[in-house]
Amino acid sequence: MSSLPSAPAKVPIWRDVRVLRWLFQIAVLAVVGIIIYWIWGNYQTNIERSSVQTDLRFLDNPASFTIPGNDFDQSSPVRAAFVQGFLNTIQVALVGIFFATILGTIIGIARLSKNLVVKTIAAAYVEVIRNLPLLLLLTFMNLAVVLQTFPRIEDAWKPLDLFVISNRGLAIPWFEGSAGQLSLLVLAGIVLAVIVVRLERARADKVGRPSRALLLGTLALAIVPVVGWITLGYTWTLPFVDGRGTSGGLRLDPSFFALIVALVVYTSSHIAEIVRGSILAVPRGQGEAADALALSNSQKMRIIILPQAFRVAMPALGNQYLNLIKNSSLGATISYFELTQIAQITVGNGSPAVPAFTLTLLVYLAISLFTSLFVNYFNRRLALVER
Amino acid sequence: MSSEVFKDATRMSGGRSSDEAIVAMEGVYKRFKDFEALKNINFQVGKQEVVVVIGPSGSGKSTLIRCINRLEEHDDGRIIVDGTELTTDVRNIQEIRKETGMVFQSFNLFPHLTVLANIALAPRQVRGMPKSEAEALARELLERVKIPEQADKFPAQLSGGQQQRVAIARSLAMKPKVMLFDEPTSALDPEMINEVLDAIKQLAQEGMTMVVVTHEMGFAKEVADRVVFMADGEIVEVGTPSEIFDNPKEERTQKFLAQIL
Amino acid sequence: MTVVFGYVGLWVIWTVIEFVFVTGRWEIIQVNLKLLLVGRFPDELMWLVGASLTALAFWVAAVAGGSKIDLNNVQTIPQRLFDYTRRFGLIVALAALLIFLAADIAALLLAFQVLGGVVVGRLVGLARRNVSVLGAIPSIIWHPMLGSPAIALVLVTLMESTLEEWGGFLINFYMAIISIVLCFPLGVLLALGRRSSFPIIRLVTTTYIELIRGAPLFVLLLLAGVALEFFIPPSIAPDAIFRGVTVFTLFTAAYLAEIVRGGLQSIPKGQTEAGKALGLSTTKITYLITMPQALRNVIPAQIGQFISLFKDTTLAGAALNILDVLNVGTAITKQQDFLGQGLIYEALAFVALLFWVGSYVMSRESQRLEKRLGVGVR
Repeated sequence: MSSLPSAPAKVPIWRDVRVLRWLFQIAVLAVVGIIIYWIWGNYQTNIERSSVQTDLRFLDNPASFTIPGNDFDQSSPVRAAFVQGFLNTIQVALVGIFFATILGTIIGIARLSKNLVVKTIAAAYVEVIRNLPLLLLLTFMNLAVVLQTFPRIEDAWKPLDLFVISNRGLAIPWFEGSAGQLSLLVLAGIVLAVIVVRLERARADKVGRPSRALLLGTLALAIVPVVGWITLGYTWTLPFVDGRGTSGGLRLDPSFFALIVALVVYTSSHIAEIVRGSILAVPRGQGEAADALALSNSQKMRIIILPQAFRVAMPALGNQYLNLIKNSSLGATISYFELTQIAQITVGNGSPAVPAFTLTLLVYLAISLFTSLFVNYFNRRLALVER
Repeated sequence: MSSEVFKDATRMSGGRSSDEAIVAMEGVYKRFKDFEALKNINFQVGKQEVVVVIGPSGSGKSTLIRCINRLEEHDDGRIIVDGTELTTDVRNIQEIRKETGMVFQSFNLFPHLTVLANIALAPRQVRGMPKSEAEALARELLERVKIPEQADKFPAQLSGGQQQRVAIARSLAMKPKVMLFDEPTSALDPEMINEVLDAIKQLAQEGMTMVVVTHEMGFAKEVADRVVFMADGEIVEVGTPSEIFDNPKEERTQKFLAQIL
Repeated sequence: MTVVFGYVGLWVIWTVIEFVFVTGRWEIIQVNLKLLLVGRFPDELMWLVGASLTALAFWVAAVAGGSKIDLNNVQTIPQRLFDYTRRFGLIVALAALLIFLAADIAALLLAFQVLGGVVVGRLVGLARRNVSVLGAIPSIIWHPMLGSPAIALVLVTLMESTLEEWGGFLINFYMAIISIVLCFPLGVLLALGRRSSFPIIRLVTTTYIELIRGAPLFVLLLLAGVALEFFIPPSIAPDAIFRGVTVFTLFTAAYLAEIVRGGLQSIPKGQTEAGKALGLSTTKITYLITMPQALRNVIPAQIGQFISLFKDTTLAGAALNILDVLNVGTAITKQQDFLGQGLIYEALAFVALLFWVGSYVMSRESQRLEKRLGVGVR
């Protein structure tokens, strides 16, 4: 006689696991929904009371302000100002990321050096900078360094006769010619370099000699812009003091300079830690195996240690880059006309605050998203294929 | 499946009268995406029976016992534990989990609680036992598995064999009707396997109903009432230890035993 | 390499020493010390500051003293004292400097009061640890979860009456503490939501987290500065600090959620399975087993987040026109007596010192904890 009942008893709904799961979800959503509804209700009430615009029409209004260092016209629409702010932010981001990575990597590696002096100085740099607020560094750069310490234009410093440093900014030697064209040439150089590196590696594999890919690649990268330079007739210009300003060369706006230095110094201290951590994260056995195989020190670093370290560091580095981009918004505190400053000014001039700042936030989000995608792409390419 | 056919199946698997079955599985299937982990499992465990399940890895042994306490959800068929059917009814699931104890391959002790707290946790939280009573029970169980002095230590301070014995004590604290062992010694260093096996043997002698998935054939020969051989998600052969080990009938059983014995 | 580094390093050290001891004109700091530290906080209410500082010190010491992390750490008294000096010497030195600059007995008394709070707290923690070793609810979750709302309430009620008079370093310190405490429940909920198997909940929480993480804190503060009143009932008029704390709380909750989520992910699945096998409900499993372990494992990361928040409070000063210590620092250089003397270096150096000591000590403690948590207790 079977002890099994003839058919499974019907599961009462209120005790059914699947039903309960859905009920829970719905309950949570209901709570969230109520909160959002309440907030939205408040928003509507308040908007009606204050008769403030809530759409994006303000983008077509004339800007009524000028942007220094630019041909931006007072009567251009606000949206053009936003575009300019966006471009400035991108500019800060690219320059900042570039220099911060270089400086950070140098300091990170220095921290691992066996040389006591180098190691201690690097460690001190990191430990001091990392624990300071960025705004403090920025304020310091702006108020203390640029506005106070840098001399007036009449007494400008001229280190090496190449630069002109004053409280009107930092003037560096620059070329005379189209920047756009030069960028294209550099891009072309990169493409050529990649091709050359691939060819050289293939050739070296066939012949069985160590490839000189790095050398040839760098040459290729340099040749294209240099050739272009000569044929297009670009020239270098040195800056010199000209009345109340400088002529020739490229003058970096003092706020731009302050912002970049602060961002680079701050971010490089974090990057230094990441680089150091990532090299330490490569298991010791890897270096030992490389030694056992009689690889030279430089080969060991180049082929075994650094690639693995880079793999580990990539996500954290990407994070720091995102931070730098977001931190560029602090440029508004020193009147550098990046995106946030533009938003603040237009709001001060009468644009409705909520749409303006929301638009700004959305732009930052878009930049962040784009950068994240980029970094993730790199991450996936680099990821070790696991079993 | 009609009750007649089921009775035959029960007889074939050498089980006791199904009146006394603690665990009964009928026509159970379990699929993971497109992989069928369990196919048409018909399986019964009688009161005070010790059933040992053996088989190659991937044969579905762990899945089988994990279905019993709903750590895995079976897709077809019926599972009944001590008269309660295992369905999507939360109350049933809860009942069944109270009556089954499980010992895992990787012990799964709670590292942030002391050994004593580990054992006393479930009686206090699930059966509502007062703290002092639960702790007294815990100490008693620690005596039973022969490590009473470890009560106030943390799991990380114990050896693997000791941790597993604590895990056994932890499951016993709920006074389950059936104990499920999922490869209890596979993660242990060789010198500690015996202390755990001894604890399990002791439980068997005390009359606990058990289903043990293991590779320890010596243990199976000594303690099992029935041995079940599984492969590719199916129960291939069932019998007493001497039937299975000395006289395997199915080819897959023979192959497997040849590989490990 | 050595030459470059050495040269730069020596130049920096020389300049700093020269600045601090020789050329620096520090009266600006001495004169404005109160303004820098507490703004225009009314003198008669200063005892509130002292009381809440002491209460906070007590609670932190009690939690630290009651934790069971270093069971094997048996140190002799002299060894212990040396350890404490190494860890907290900087804070003591800073306190001494401040007392010296203040030249006020009250400051000295306050310092001793706080020290007293720490000692008592530590003793209470130790006592609790030795008395009840067998808790099923681990102590390290007891105190933050039960203590923090209490402490937050204490702080808020104590200070509520004088919100308008807050200023200086007080603002930075308290905004950070209140925000990190308030953001805790939200952060934990968001983390649980993000890991939920329910698609809609997961979508909602992920959206919130990703939106916040992609946005610059500064812009969020600016937005709150002009727009927060639109989202709450017209009857409540939010003041600047309220806005700041709201944004910091919502912001940090998103980051905390990611930290806690990481912690939860690192708990082996076997833990939940063991809980289920024992018959525990999902809620109980989360509350008793997974969450305590996860939170404990990510304490270093949480401390890191707090340090970030602490430094970011300066942004509130810039965005919402709150008179935090950095703002006061730049403002005092424009005072009548000090205008145009280039004292910005001294002012900023002092502010930097306050932040640096706080961040450095906390960050070192977090590293120490990380080592302790990671080491097996066998």
